[in-house]
Amino acid sequence: MISFRVDGRSGVPPYLQLVQQVRQALRMGVLDVGDQLPTVREVVAEVAVNPNTVLKAYRDLEREGLVEARAGQGTFVRRRPTGPPPTTHSRLGRSLARWVREAREAGLDDESIESLLKVTLRSADTATADFGEGIA
Amino acid sequence: MNPSGENTAVETSGLTKRYRRATALSDCSVTVPLGRISALVGPNGAGKSTLLRLLTGLAWPTGGSALVLGGTPRQDPAFLADIGYLAQDVPLYRQLSAEDHVQAGARLNERWDGASARTRLRELGVPLDRAVGTLSGGQRAQVGLSLALAKRPRLLLLDEPVAALDPLARRHFFATLTTAMAESEEGLTVVLSSHLIADLERVCDHLILLAASRVQLCGDIDDLLAEHVVLVGPRKDTAPIERAHTVVHATTTPRQTTLVIRRGGPVIDPAYQAEDIGLEDLVLAYMGAAAPPAYAHLSTVGEEQ
Amino acid sequence: MTWLTWRQYRTSAAISAAALAAFAVLIVITGLHIAAVFHAAVGPCLAAHDCRWPADNLALDNGPVGLVVEFTLAVPAVLGMFLGAPLVAREIETGAGQFAWTQSVTRRRWLAVKVGWLLLAALAWGGVVGALVTWWSGPKNAAYLNAFDPGTFDVQGIMPAAYTLFAMALGIAAGTVIRRVLPALGVTLFGYFGIRLIFMGWIRQHYMSPVTTTVSIAANYLPSGAFWQLGQGFRGPNGLISLPNGNNIHTVGNGFPLSDVPAACLTHGPAGGTRPSPDVLSCLGSHGFVQYFTYQPADRYWPFQFIEAGIFVAMAAALIAVTFAVISRRDA
Repeated sequence: MISFRVDGRSGVPPYLQLVQQVRQALRMGVLDVGDQLPTVREVVAEVAVNPNTVLKAYRDLEREGLVEARAGQGTFVRRRPTGPPPTTHSRLGRSLARWVREAREAGLDDESIESLLKVTLRSADTATADFGEGIA
Repeated sequence: MNPSGENTAVETSGLTKRYRRATALSDCSVTVPLGRISALVGPNGAGKSTLLRLLTGLAWPTGGSALVLGGTPRQDPAFLADIGYLAQDVPLYRQLSAEDHVQAGARLNERWDGASARTRLRELGVPLDRAVGTLSGGQRAQVGLSLALAKRPRLLLLDEPVAALDPLARRHFFATLTTAMAESEEGLTVVLSSHLIADLERVCDHLILLAASRVQLCGDIDDLLAEHVVLVGPRKDTAPIERAHTVVHATTTPRQTTLVIRRGGPVIDPAYQAEDIGLEDLVLAYMGAAAPPAYAHLSTVGEEQ
Repeated sequence: MTWLTWRQYRTSAAISAAALAAFAVLIVITGLHIAAVFHAAVGPCLAAHDCRWPADNLALDNGPVGLVVEFTLAVPAVLGMFLGAPLVAREIETGAGQFAWTQSVTRRRWLAVKVGWLLLAALAWGGVVGALVTWWSGPKNAAYLNAFDPGTFDVQGIMPAAYTLFAMALGIAAGTVIRRVLPALGVTLFGYFGIRLIFMGWIRQHYMSPVTTTVSIAANYLPSGAFWQLGQGFRGPNGLISLPNGNNIHTVGNGFPLSDVPAACLTHGPAGGTRPSPDVLSCLGSHGFVQYFTYQPADRYWPFQFIEAGIFVAMAAALIAVTFAVISRRDA
């Protein structure tokens, strides 16, 4: 059974943290197809977040197709998140390690690397175009 | 926002409370939709307690009006049954036990769920038969909350209920609150005042910010955070920014300007770097803007004279 | 609401019941003793139907119990201060009222139940104390005929019940208006005694016009029964005789000042001074001097009790009305 944590200071909205934790649990096999997610009441009793936050997270997961709500019974896992196979993960991870080595040799500290990563992710994500416009 | 007050838990219009020597609340117009947990924040003396007391009918307004669950706060058992209130310092009858209070509640209310209050307190390890005055602050707050929830209210008004509690007690308090919300059949709306923004951030989805006895912000937190941006850039003339947007708060050093703005449109000035704003910084920006002049110097660091 | 009232006043009720019981025991035991002494002393004259009242030489309890009975004058003030004043003031001061006033009872209903029980308790307490003291005072009333006198009038009959009711209402009103216990205590204390003193000293005597009887200067006149003497003196052809101050004033008869005796009624003494003639009283009478008594007759005792009780009950009602008006209109 999945156990949730919400970090108030992580900068990630609580509902998104819940979504990410469900996805991670599915990837790691903690949750399997057909398993029931904890009820809203169970989640808030454990984590003390707004029930609407849990509802929002479950709705997001439902929209992605990962879970489905069965009337009167609860929310159940429908399928695993799609994504590249583990081999792709390791290949990308290796090339990332190479890039990080190169950046460090060039004199970038970890903070600059993170900042660069953030900016790149943002400019690549068209949904947040507003915020991207203020970048030098 | 529904002007008739039917879909809102709280709707005030120009609500004012004036005393002989001071004005506690001035021209307060806020709306809290049903089903929200609303954070009521602001400096001490900003009028938070006054607003909550006006909504319960414990105090009467000197101006303006308020609609609570569609009706004016009034001395009427039907209205009183729908609201729950927990004042600061959890004032209860110190000589009486929690069990006494539960029994009193059963006799003073039509709708009363004493069993759930007892169960909840037992689960938390709060003794039911000791005088409430002998309990710790956290236990007393749980008693107060359980009593307020046992009324099965539709609107819960909490005035700094966790101010004196340690982090674990606070977590238990909020868990009780959020569980009650999840379990509530007739729907529960909460307005909760506190200084601890981190707590409010995980639990609340709506914000009312009072400062200098006036409303500075009111709205869903997600919307408010999306509407505000932090702009960081070199020290320069901020007039173009001020024309297009509302500058809430400005901090300047000799080299740099930091602005918290409420967006009037897209931000297109390339000189500035735009960042998302967190709830705590948003609240501080508005509280800083309304702060008395003595604090003004904190906004300008190293200003050249 | 009744349950909550009981729960909150449980201890006070127990303490006051115990105090009342102790008082009752004291009164009953000493009262029986006084009655015994009384009947032993006056039994013979009662049988012979020739008792003379007032029997000033009969010593019936000059001990501490008499003081206790006098202290029952303070009972209403005590109850009003310690039970009435904190009723609303304490709830506001401690903030506990915010619990009660956000349950599903209106402030008025809350107040009605509490005030109802407190007034009932005041009436009961005052009534019992009054009944006990009236019974206890029976022999003294018969012997000294002083029931109508200020002081005795106030602790017997229905007065204690009316005063306690009034003091409780005063305490409740003070607490509701002032909203702080200590000042309300003070207002109740001084307000109660102030009003009582004003009534006792000035107002009571005018409930009905006092009776003035004029008798001859030689008569030894006393109105019958337990009358309330308001004034007594002498009148002459030129009006009232004012009684001089000081000690060692020479008087004739029932206190007629020697200095006002006209020369015609004086004789010369052997040493050259003047002294009253042997028939000075009839001489004064023939010169137009008379005695007068101003008093309230004994048969007005109960009418006065009811009039004063009625006034105090009416004042209590007005105070309670003010309390209700204030509780809803002001902030809690």
